[in-house]
Amino acid sequence: MTGERIAIVGVGQTVHKSKRTDVNTAELCAEAVEAALADAQLTIKDIDCVILGSFEPADGYSGPDKWIVPEIGCVGKAGFEMQNVGTTGAVACATAFNMAASGLFENVLCVAWQKMDEAAGAFGRGGGGANEYWTGQFPMSPITNFARRTYDYMTRSGCTEEHLAMVRVKQDQCAQRNKNAQLKLGLTVEKVMGDFLLAWPIRRLHMCPTTAGSAAIVVCPEKRAKKVSMKPVWVEDWFTCHQGGALTMAEDPQASTLGYACKKIYKRCGITNPKKEIQAWEVYEPASTAELRWMEEVGVAEDYKAWKLFEQGKVGIEKEIPFNPSGGVTATNPIGCTPVVRVVEASLQVRGDAEEHQVPGTINRALATGYGGQGENVVFLLKKAL
Amino acid sequence: MLKKEEPQDPSVAFRYPRVIPYKHSLGYQSKFAHALKMGRIIATKCPVDGRCTVPPRIVCPMHHVRQTEWVDQGQRGKLLSAFKINFPMFDSRTGELKSWEYPIVAIELEGGARMDGWCAETDTEKLKPGIILEAVWRPAEERKGRVDDIIYWKPV
Amino acid sequence: MTHHDKKGVADIPEDPIIVEVQAHSNFLVTIGNTGHKFLSEIKDNKTIMGIKCPQCKKVYVPPRTHCPTCFAKMSEWVKLSGQGTLETFTIVRYKEQYMPKEPPYAYGVIKLNGADTGVVHFIGGIDLNKIKVGMKMEPVFKEQREGSILDIEYFKPVG
Repeated sequence: MTGERIAIVGVGQTVHKSKRTDVNTAELCAEAVEAALADAQLTIKDIDCVILGSFEPADGYSGPDKWIVPEIGCVGKAGFEMQNVGTTGAVACATAFNMAASGLFENVLCVAWQKMDEAAGAFGRGGGGANEYWTGQFPMSPITNFARRTYDYMTRSGCTEEHLAMVRVKQDQCAQRNKNAQLKLGLTVEKVMGDFLLAWPIRRLHMCPTTAGSAAIVVCPEKRAKKVSMKPVWVEDWFTCHQGGALTMAEDPQASTLGYACKKIYKRCGITNPKKEIQAWEVYEPASTAELRWMEEVGVAEDYKAWKLFEQGKVGIEKEIPFNPSGGVTATNPIGCTPVVRVVEASLQVRGDAEEHQVPGTINRALATGYGGQGENVVFLLKKAL
Repeated sequence: MLKKEEPQDPSVAFRYPRVIPYKHSLGYQSKFAHALKMGRIIATKCPVDGRCTVPPRIVCPMHHVRQTEWVDQGQRGKLLSAFKINFPMFDSRTGELKSWEYPIVAIELEGGARMDGWCAETDTEKLKPGIILEAVWRPAEERKGRVDDIIYWKPV
Repeated sequence: MTHHDKKGVADIPEDPIIVEVQAHSNFLVTIGNTGHKFLSEIKDNKTIMGIKCPQCKKVYVPPRTHCPTCFAKMSEWVKLSGQGTLETFTIVRYKEQYMPKEPPYAYGVIKLNGADTGVVHFIGGIDLNKIKVGMKMEPVFKEQREGSILDIEYFKPVG
């Protein structure tokens, strides 16, 4: 990688809830910014660049950066807003990383949010990447997309609905130990399997909730990062790309860029055994069932065999594979902000600051991802030591 | 208009319903829309690997070359997957929350392109991957040049 | 499956098509506790309140939780007389979708006495062609108020 080496020196997020009637959207962001600045032990005056992220159709504000920038004390600072459906927060983080790596800025703030109690339901004409005119007649949404993906996965792997329920229960057990997570439900396999069926095999409990939440990070180039933080989290690499095909998911229900992006990053960083060389994983799963295929694409499970690991009880915070120790997107999903939450959670894991949901042992590397649209992924690799 | 619970106190929260008109140019895909009006499905073909895509694209997404060859995809296809939506979802075209009676199917057409459609068979147990489906079209005078000019796909 | 009939495509027209669609939305706007207090004072007491920054001492109307300059949390409310000076205005004469009033109507920025920010609102109670920058203005409240910024019907010149 060329450019300055960079590190995350501060992270913050709100306690995620389904509704926040006590604050408007700008005030919600201010809470996350305060938390990140407090964590970094910096003030707003130190920040010289601000990157914002929001999936505008999900809460109905067009060009919200004009409103929010003054309310977070960032008038006169360089910066702009990024937007890209589910990967919004991820592209905002990636942009913030690039701004810090450019050497032009010393302290870059990245804040993303979504206040989904304000959503009108049918957000996003265009179905997250598909051409609206051709797909607008179909109710395309993460529910139907993941119904397709999961059905295809079950056909190829031979796993049963019970295994899908096991994934959801693992998610919930992790979320119960995360003070910021929204959904903590005390689930069992029976409860999940008996839940309302949305579109087979996806049940209501499998899907992520709608959330009002915000998260922020502060990123600095190397020299500054070492001065500001005792525990900088180094951003080793990141990658994103679009996928060919899957305009409507008819073309390839398993099409996803996750495996491709991970292979690229692993090669660039010399990782040959991800299961051993990466100790914590915060991989964006819009439906809990997506974890099965994602585990295979990032390289901790063999193709179409991840479901066996759940059967064997090998996935969990203190288990062999600590996948999504925060409870994942299934517990909390303020769309535009969710990938930033993944980066925040992954950073906390590397620092050893994840409190009750901390993966035991030394976390030398953590992987965080953002997912959006029909299968786009943004992948970040975070590292403890240079 | 989308119906949601009305907030009572505007000093706490309020709604602002809007209907915004747009005019979209179909461009290169206009030919596809004309074909649908004629009761035909056509696709563009990549000159590098011969893959056909529906809806058509002016440039191949993988090989970055212009796709100038159009190929008729026939009237039948092989079922790839099917699923039924069990809950009311918004129809983003009208703003209505409605129930969706027919399953959505993914089909591989005779010409090799893949597309989505509705399916006449509502019993998903009968929809096994590999069965052959045939397009059932609206009467010619009712077609608008949209993918729903195909009312649904029926098992042969 | 039989091999499909290899029909030619030359007979299919290529004339460009333009499609008209309508996007429906019905978003909710949450005011937040701070904004709620501001609107409640207008509704219940016909009073306009500002909020003051503990660091730079600027008074903001409408209020917000954090100072845009200092990012300090603000909690000191200041009661304002409601009177102010017209800084700038315009008269809207054209019509388009979703306008608040029938044109022609005037709206402008009024710098309230005791505040450091201007407030955007309608200007009324005066012949539109006689409005001048620098005029002293005061709010005219509606009889029936519901907790909205439009509980102020408009600002009119004093006297």
